Amino acid sequence: MSILAYNGGAVVAMKGQDCVAIATDKRYGIQAQTVSTNFPKVYQMGPTLYVGLPGLATDTQTVFQRLKFRMNLYELKENRIMRPKTFSAMLSNLLYERRFGPYFIEPVIAGLDPYDNQPYVCNMDLIGCPNEPEDFVVSGTCSEQLYGMCEALWEPNLKPDELFETISQALVNAADRDAISGWGAVVYIIEKDKITEKHVKTRMD
Amino acid sequence: MSNINLQCLLGIQCNDFVMIAADQTNSHSIMVMKDDEEKIYKISDRLVMGVIGDSGDTTQFAEYIAKNIQLYKMRNGYELGPTAAANFTRRNLAEYLRSSTPYFVNVLMAGYDKENGPELYFMDYLASSVKVPFACHGFGGYLSLSIMDRYHKKDATEQEAYEILKKCITEVHKRLFVSLPNFQVTVVNRDGIKTLPVINSASLK
Amino acid sequence: MALLDFCRLDEKINLRPVDSLASFQNDVMGFSQNFVNSTQLATPPFANPVETLAQFNTKDETGKQIKIEFDHGTTTLGFRYKGGVLLAVDSRATGGQFIGSQSMKKIVEINDYLLGTLAGGAADCVYWDRVLAKQCRLYELRNRERISVAAASKLMANMVYNYKGMGLSMGMMLAGIDKRGAQLYYVDSEGTRTPGKVFSVGSGSVYAFGVLDSGYSWDLTDLEAQELGRRAIYHATHRDAYSGGIIRVYHISEKGWVNVSNEDCSELHYKYRAEKGEPED
Repeated sequence: MSILAYNGGAVVAMKGQDCVAIATDKRYGIQAQTVSTNFPKVYQMGPTLYVGLPGLATDTQTVFQRLKFRMNLYELKENRIMRPKTFSAMLSNLLYERRFGPYFIEPVIAGLDPYDNQPYVCNMDLIGCPNEPEDFVVSGTCSEQLYGMCEALWEPNLKPDELFETISQALVNAADRDAISGWGAVVYIIEKDKITEKHVKTRMD
Repeated sequence: MSNINLQCLLGIQCNDFVMIAADQTNSHSIMVMKDDEEKIYKISDRLVMGVIGDSGDTTQFAEYIAKNIQLYKMRNGYELGPTAAANFTRRNLAEYLRSSTPYFVNVLMAGYDKENGPELYFMDYLASSVKVPFACHGFGGYLSLSIMDRYHKKDATEQEAYEILKKCITEVHKRLFVSLPNFQVTVVNRDGIKTLPVINSASLK
Repeated sequence: MALLDFCRLDEKINLRPVDSLASFQNDVMGFSQNFVNSTQLATPPFANPVETLAQFNTKDETGKQIKIEFDHGTTTLGFRYKGGVLLAVDSRATGGQFIGSQSMKKIVEINDYLLGTLAGGAADCVYWDRVLAKQCRLYELRNRERISVAAASKLMANMVYNYKGMGLSMGMMLAGIDKRGAQLYYVDSEGTRTPGKVFSVGSGSVYAFGVLDSGYSWDLTDLEAQELGRRAIYHATHRDAYSGGIIRVYHISEKGWVNVSNEDCSELHYKYRAEKGEPED
């Protein structure tokens, strides 16, 4: 079994009209055993910036803490908040630093640019190769299922509530076809001056 | 071959206390060296840590953490709470994980926080740490986890939690192919740390 | 061709290549042997099948791990109590971590008084249960009485034992009622066959045993027994990634088997949560 699938979990992010959404499942398991059902893999990194770090749970936590540390340094030095694009570069750099002994996570970034409010989504492989598409990004143990759901459900210019419905359906139904994702889900809808956090009811088996 | 999964750690957190139990078997290859080993370490006044894993690593790691947390208290004049202690432990475990001398230990950390009440942290040897209402390590934990799912209540008394542990250990005695005759039990509550009677087949009658 | 046939020349001279001698007959035999004798599977196309087959499941010629992922992962349980036998199973079929189905029937109704559960390789279980059903029916027709559970389980064990070591993977329970009362047997592809009171088989069995053992007694009422089986499977589906879907409960008494309930795990979860008084998170 792949080390990326040791703990299980999935993250997806989507662009909408003047908004972005990011969603994660809540499972923390050790291979087949579900240990906790309260382990979201998405963290808030700025007022309108979120990062999801599915993969090996220990690296989810380590990378989050290192990212937070570097980001705090940046903000203290620069005295301004970080753009999502800059954040991606920083994360990519952090991951490539470990090119020969990588962190086993495949990050997803979602945010609104704090200066021009442009939606931004991005995902990376475990050594930091960024990918910035115009529609959606997925990651985690059910990424194939997520791609299928997203290709079918996503359309341009979704309003925040439509985006919530789309991303929730995509995540929940993808996770229902994966043995090691699910057990609850959290969805964040990011708008210019509003963040909505919703916990989605899912199957618990 | 490691015997990390042949050992067993159980933990239950309720509204007023957190209780952990650990088997007392110390085995090497096919032999039992000792059946009154202490695997629960007192870290500070309201914090204990159950550790199982490779025989040298367990004591070394537990004492290293314990002494450093005591040192922190001497330097700063106040104690690390359970959350901070768990984070400290996790970080050490994570840093050693990617060194040439990783600690091969699974941990349950149980403490009482003045503001947040009792807390239980589940940590595996890869250094992922999760806050949980109840958790187990080892093959014995597989059999116990569903019993905890079935009988755990947030408002249980210490007596009731002790009874749940007894149910778990009865099951371990009945179904597990290795012999884990004795389990030590420790409870942490507002008043501090208390050792409860050892659970073994005599006390289960 | 017509003239050739008419002269019956081919009886005197062989005009066809040597290896096709009587090949039609051979083909009929070779390709339909299984119809005549369902316990006979195609012989592996190499010598020493037991050793050679084992190698297939490890490395290919480049040293890469070969992955044959059969449908796997299950929780099934069965126990005897004063009211008969109770069986409960989940319904998830997985291939690796992919969930292939959430609605498998893992209890096979062999006849009105005999049930079999499946765990392990799905195809193996389904096939051999079907063969067993046939054998049991033949027994009934030949002997004018139903087969005992002991005999049925022995048939099963003997059939699969012939293929031991060749990769069959199944752990099944046979439950039924016969002259000697309610019976429960565990049979697997290693050749084990053993009667017992409480069994659970599959990846989630460790979790099921926890709940089952702590709630079991011989004197359970029918309702209590059904609820115990259901709960044990539910807790297993919650903790085991490879179990889930629908929980099917069957009860066997003197009157034969009854399908007590088929409930969705998800609905059960939220029902049990509400009973516990814990909020949905």
